[in-house]
Amino acid sequence: MTILHTTRLLDMKTNVFRSLSFLVVLASSAAALQDKLVVEAGRIVTLAGDDIENGVIVIENGRIKAVGKAGEVQKPWDATVIGGSELVAFPGFVEAHTSNGMDRANENLDVAPFLDIRDSIDPVAFYFEDCLRYGVTTVNVQHGPNCVVGGQGMIVRPTGMTVEEMVVRPRYGTKISVSPKQGKSRATQMQQLRETLDGLRVYLEELIEAERDKRGYAEREALAQGRELTSEEKKGRSMEGKAWKVDGLELIPRGAIDEKQAPLLEMVEGRRMVFLNCEEAMDVEHAIEFARTNGFLEKSVLVLDVRCWRAADAIAEAGLPVVLEGGLLEMRRNPRTGEEEETFVPAILADKGIRFALSSEASGQRSLWYQAALSIGEGLDRSIALASVTTTAAEILGLEKEVGSLEVGKMGNVVLFSGDPLSITSWVERVVIEGREVYDRRKDVRNKHLLEGTQPRGTAAVAEAPVQEDDHAEEEGEEAKEEEAKDDESEDGE
Amino acid sequence: MTTRTALLATAALAAGSPATAQEDWVISAKTIYTAAGDPIEGGAITVSGGKITALRGGRGTKLEVTAVTPGFVDLSAGVDTGSSSVEQTTETSVTFSVAETIDFFSHRWGRELASGVTTVLAAPLDENVLGGLCVVVKTGGEPTLEARLLRKDVALRASIGTQPSSGNSTPNAFRENTIYVRRPTTRMGVEWVFRKAYYDALNAQRFRFEVDADQAAQNALLLRTIEGDLPVFVKTPATQDVRTAIHLKREFGIRNMILDHAAEAWKELALVQESGVGVVLPPFPADGRLRDPYANDSYFLALDAAAKLHELGVPIALSGDGARTPEDRIARQAGYAMRGGLSFEAALAAVTIAPARMMGVDDRVGSIEVGKDADLVLWNGKPFEATSGIVGVFLDGKLVLDARASTAEAGQ
Repeated sequence: MTILHTTRLLDMKTNVFRSLSFLVVLASSAAALQDKLVVEAGRIVTLAGDDIENGVIVIENGRIKAVGKAGEVQKPWDATVIGGSELVAFPGFVEAHTSNGMDRANENLDVAPFLDIRDSIDPVAFYFEDCLRYGVTTVNVQHGPNCVVGGQGMIVRPTGMTVEEMVVRPRYGTKISVSPKQGKSRATQMQQLRETLDGLRVYLEELIEAERDKRGYAEREALAQGRELTSEEKKGRSMEGKAWKVDGLELIPRGAIDEKQAPLLEMVEGRRMVFLNCEEAMDVEHAIEFARTNGFLEKSVLVLDVRCWRAADAIAEAGLPVVLEGGLLEMRRNPRTGEEEETFVPAILADKGIRFALSSEASGQRSLWYQAALSIGEGLDRSIALASVTTTAAEILGLEKEVGSLEVGKMGNVVLFSGDPLSITSWVERVVIEGREVYDRRKDVRNKHLLEGTQPRGTAAVAEAPVQEDDHAEEEGEEAKEEEAKDDESEDGE
Repeated sequence: MTTRTALLATAALAAGSPATAQEDWVISAKTIYTAAGDPIEGGAITVSGGKITALRGGRGTKLEVTAVTPGFVDLSAGVDTGSSSVEQTTETSVTFSVAETIDFFSHRWGRELASGVTTVLAAPLDENVLGGLCVVVKTGGEPTLEARLLRKDVALRASIGTQPSSGNSTPNAFRENTIYVRRPTTRMGVEWVFRKAYYDALNAQRFRFEVDADQAAQNALLLRTIEGDLPVFVKTPATQDVRTAIHLKREFGIRNMILDHAAEAWKELALVQESGVGVVLPPFPADGRLRDPYANDSYFLALDAAAKLHELGVPIALSGDGARTPEDRIARQAGYAMRGGLSFEAALAAVTIAPARMMGVDDRVGSIEVGKDADLVLWNGKPFEATSGIVGVFLDGKLVLDARASTAEAGQ
């Protein structure tokens, strides 16, 4: 009985392996095919200079090799060609900060800088699927806002079945919340933030003192913790902290610093991006002060709720970039008159010269393209609105040479829209990430469901008697034929 | 840009302040979308005495914008009648009129104005099976019923499904425990109450029963929905509700029925088309799923729902459902409906002339025509586009929302 069972299991395993290896072969051959990709479009919005009518983008090995007018750009003979003259090419959108795409974005521990959200990212999360559907090709995923000091974030491309396939920048950034974690007061929150960095200082001082007393202490301590140091990790180095320093850090092998403290040390030394979460305007000043006194002001990004616009002057003075979350309009009842007042926040930020990126909020249809479009409707300058979801967002993430516009040398991230990228009637038709086509709307069943719903069993479709009298309905004929026709049309279009 | 705050406050103030001397206006626009025939390129609307007096220019304060549409008409704006104004004494409060309870001082009127909504249907809350009579009012002007009323007793509010029974429980010591006196606690009960009211009315007529004055008044109104022109405005979010409502319409021969909040009407296209009902759609949710906290349920509103219904000739109206968030505003719903395949013209009609017709107020509002009320929405771009915003609103010839600082064409 047992033996039989095992055999079956083995059989199954081999089958699984076979099909797996088959898949791998498929995937790698697809990759090989797409080493060279040519994207053609009726118009290319480069966001780096003028739009190009009838343009071509050549992508080789994941990077843009050429952008220009058809006929002026050399197309490699062996490249895959996608696109069409009815489409508009646009750079992939950049999500400057989100806590979506994770399985549980918040950690119970208050201070958890040693955690890596690599372990929480869910490659098949609906959020990432929606990213492609709405043309977002670069995403900065950070720990949720319900924390004191969160884990280490990651910049990803929203495609792939494993986190390894998705990663663009690993261990990127740390989330700090100045607004209180659930169950805390603001005073406790700030106290715990200060305590965390005081703790780092005390830890470093004690470690240095112990090392001075007994040479090799730190290395033995690391060994006791199960970390054997490689040659590079054995080297010491001096501390680069701007706001405060401890002397004698060069005595400590860099690999001997506790995992829990290492990200904090990177932060204090200004070598790690910090995303400061503020929900109320009052939090902003504390955030800036905390960053300044600990020397990471220049590496800080404010992640703000719309209510924080009241601190715009302080933000402008500190020169910090902003990621705006929680919508574009602040709606507030006037405490005196009871009237509802609305404030369009991006315009205020722009007015004060603050660099800002918008956020896709709950993703879905209200993704980055829509936030930018609405901002234009509210009177924000078109170029600032577009930059806030592309180039400025890329700058904030230090990816200004990689993504955000269609320029030679940048990553080959291209979105093909069915019309003007910010029009309410346009759809994302194709998405290319680093030269690989990762989304095709014709194959997107869930988008079809959003658009057309699914007719449940037992409900009547339209095809019955009253409809057939209608001339218009006759033209369209049977559903199946109509489907075919649609497919044909879109094939022709290319 | 901060001005926006002040401007809205001004709008709200204007809406609540006593009438001042009427100013005449000449509003020229690159395009006037009249909702009555083709758009007019490079036209000018003359506004005098609260009415549109000409479409060819005239005398008055000049204003220049990119585009103008009629003020929006929202049949499901959920205008404030107070938070707990559900009539608890009976489930069939047919003779009650919402006219007496509208709170004209609520801050929510400001939201409607900011969304460009100038006319709304005020309906009793949707928690009674037959909730009472609805009125059509303006969203601004002097805060009295007389000043804002367009038409009284335009429809009978009804509600089907889980909502009327939600929160109901078995009666207490002071109420007898029989279905004749207690409120329904199930869908079956809701339908039973609806049916019983109509059955009683028809029987009383047929057999000339002696009934008391209250009952006679109720019966008369119910018979008006069968023999006369009083529409039944019934809330039907789920497919099941749509079916029930249409079955009830057929059973009693209700002449004119409008399905309110009918998120899933598109799932029963043939039934809806054949039955001749009108449909009011709730705001489109971002992911298609519309959550209903009362019914602990969710409904699916496909993006092409409006397009599908329109194509079959079903009269449709879009709604902002109270514009609780900027995303719910009615103009954005028109945009979403276009995203789902509805033409611009049909989307414009669905927020202006179509709902006005449904409630029989299209002689006064719903389109830009000489002689109609000067309710106008001013735009900085093509209406309903994601990149266009509302920069001004006229109500009865008064500029109640004014963002002249940013009337420049959107972007670039």
